[in-house]
Amino acid sequence: MARPTATGTGDRPDLLSAGLFIGLGGLGLFMARGLDTGTLAQMGPGFLPRVVCVLLIAVGLAVGIPALRRPVQAIDAIRLRPLLVITVAIVGFAYAATHLGFVLASLWLIVAGSLADPGGNWRHILLLAAGLTLFGALVFVYGLGVQVPLWPF
Amino acid sequence: MTFIDLLMLGFSEAITPANLAFCLLGALLGTLIGVLPGIGPTATIAVLLPITFFLPPLAGIIMLAGIYYGAQYGGSTTAILVNLPGEASAVVTTLDGYQMARQGRAGAALAVAALGSFFAGTVATFAIAVAGPMLSGFALSFGPAEYVSLMVFGLLAATILASGPVLKAIGMILIGLLLGMVGTDQATGAERLTFGAIELFDGIDFIVIAIGIFGFSEIIANLERSGSEGVKLAPLSRLWPTRDDFRNSWGAVLRGTAIGTLLGLLPGGGATLASFSAYSLEKKVSKHPEKFGTGVVEGVASPEAANNAAAQSSFIPLLTLGIPSNNMMAMMLSAFMIHGITPGPTVLTTQPEIFWGLVASMWIGNLLLVVINLPMIGLWVKLLTVPYRLLYPAILLFCCIGVYSMNNRIFDVILAAGFGLLGYAFRKARCEPGPLLLGFVLGPLLESNLRRTLLIEQGDPSIFIERPISLTMLVATVILLGLMILPSFRRTRQEAFQEEEA
Repeated sequence: MARPTATGTGDRPDLLSAGLFIGLGGLGLFMARGLDTGTLAQMGPGFLPRVVCVLLIAVGLAVGIPALRRPVQAIDAIRLRPLLVITVAIVGFAYAATHLGFVLASLWLIVAGSLADPGGNWRHILLLAAGLTLFGALVFVYGLGVQVPLWPF
Repeated sequence: MTFIDLLMLGFSEAITPANLAFCLLGALLGTLIGVLPGIGPTATIAVLLPITFFLPPLAGIIMLAGIYYGAQYGGSTTAILVNLPGEASAVVTTLDGYQMARQGRAGAALAVAALGSFFAGTVATFAIAVAGPMLSGFALSFGPAEYVSLMVFGLLAATILASGPVLKAIGMILIGLLLGMVGTDQATGAERLTFGAIELFDGIDFIVIAIGIFGFSEIIANLERSGSEGVKLAPLSRLWPTRDDFRNSWGAVLRGTAIGTLLGLLPGGGATLASFSAYSLEKKVSKHPEKFGTGVVEGVASPEAANNAAAQSSFIPLLTLGIPSNNMMAMMLSAFMIHGITPGPTVLTTQPEIFWGLVASMWIGNLLLVVINLPMIGLWVKLLTVPYRLLYPAILLFCCIGVYSMNNRIFDVILAAGFGLLGYAFRKARCEPGPLLLGFVLGPLLESNLRRTLLIEQGDPSIFIERPISLTMLVATVILLGLMILPSFRRTRQEAFQEEEA
């Protein structure tokens, strides 16, 4: 539970939700602008996306406006390290798996991903990376036949 | 074929060596992730979904179902021994279970939980076997209008019965519906909401969303918390409950089973809601309500029976109507879809071996869980001492391979990473991501049925209130929405979920 801080108003988690709802609704409306709405009997491709987006924006407003007046509630602290490290590790894996093969991709994912937790010990991480890569290669690539090259060459 | 013949067919399917092995594997995996905090059944099933593609349909579904109910068993083990609910549905078990463990009655609590769960699982499995054919016969008379009303009712009811603010849950459903519309429009072939990306013309894969929002963002959120190093264990004592324990708990088990089976049927119901309701019911009917929380055996027996019963009976709407009632069932729906099976009334007649094989395997799985788990409790508990920093790289790798293996595309993995970020934002905004999955799965169904209805009726929506079943559903939806506006109901609902959030 978030602790209310002393001053101001605004329920931040709710305001963030409102922002997400309204933003996604708006984005949807913008992207659906060229689509035909049609009639009730002959719905065009744009009919339901528009309805859903308008509803989404309405819900966003209904969540956001009362939240402005409520006493302040902070968003739980955001720690960038796990967020960035994990995302970069996953994206790197995606490129490496196609171009460099599964072995290097998997080693990269586990070694880079382990950096998200500051308490790591290099020997453990390397052992874990080697073990999981071997396991993954045997089970997924040989066993289940996932279509991915093992090596870069 | 008679009921017995069908049940025999089911058992003959379920006890083939391969299916038995996958049932065992699922139950073991479920127990494992139930024991380990920080990995839920939703994330696990998301990771394993792509793998079931390589298995025969029934084996894959049996395994995934095993994970779901296995997690209910595993979650209670840690709740009792270390006061750490492995799953949300085991939160109430900690109240009395851990107290029993501290009084040296851990063995009795574990045994009552396991036996109660087994009994509940048996009853709920039987309920599926009885209710399935009846309900699906009823569902065969549904036209598109009935399906539209049923889905609208299901989606809204799911938000009200699930925890958290209703408006936010409705917003999440709408986002799910919107995501379900990405891709080529089924009726006209127009590209919708694709940003012009060819990779999106086929729509977004369920697995990409599930792994992104449940797998990746869960890892990130867990790492933020960290500090889940090891835990201290309560000493394990003699396993068998006393005669008194049995006498005190059988009534509680019966009530828990009944409540769980019923609540599992409701949209948005499921294991967590059932265990909370069962606990409060038990407190109400008890002769000594003040003792609850100090280690009474009813406080363990009833919620444990309820969560297992609900886990099983929530399969009923999926298997008979084709409508998933919670996010776990949305996962199961897409597991069926991967194999080209659309769950619903027709499966029972065209592929009876799938339905009955699954039902029989659930019972076998429950039996296996009791047999494996009671002797192996010590081993499961040792697993708790494995630190998260050794676990999450493995989960990360399985998630990545899972997403990649669907289409062998970089794009899917990066999209999943994007959904991981979105899921992270939802967590910070305190939005439950479950309803999003429901919306995403039901969106295309809802749209095609709505279009079909209005096409047949030439744009006249009055059919929705002319057909009696459809009208009933809509009236129920309106009543639910009306209740939400009433302040007194809102307060009761908040109280009901208060313990859960604490």
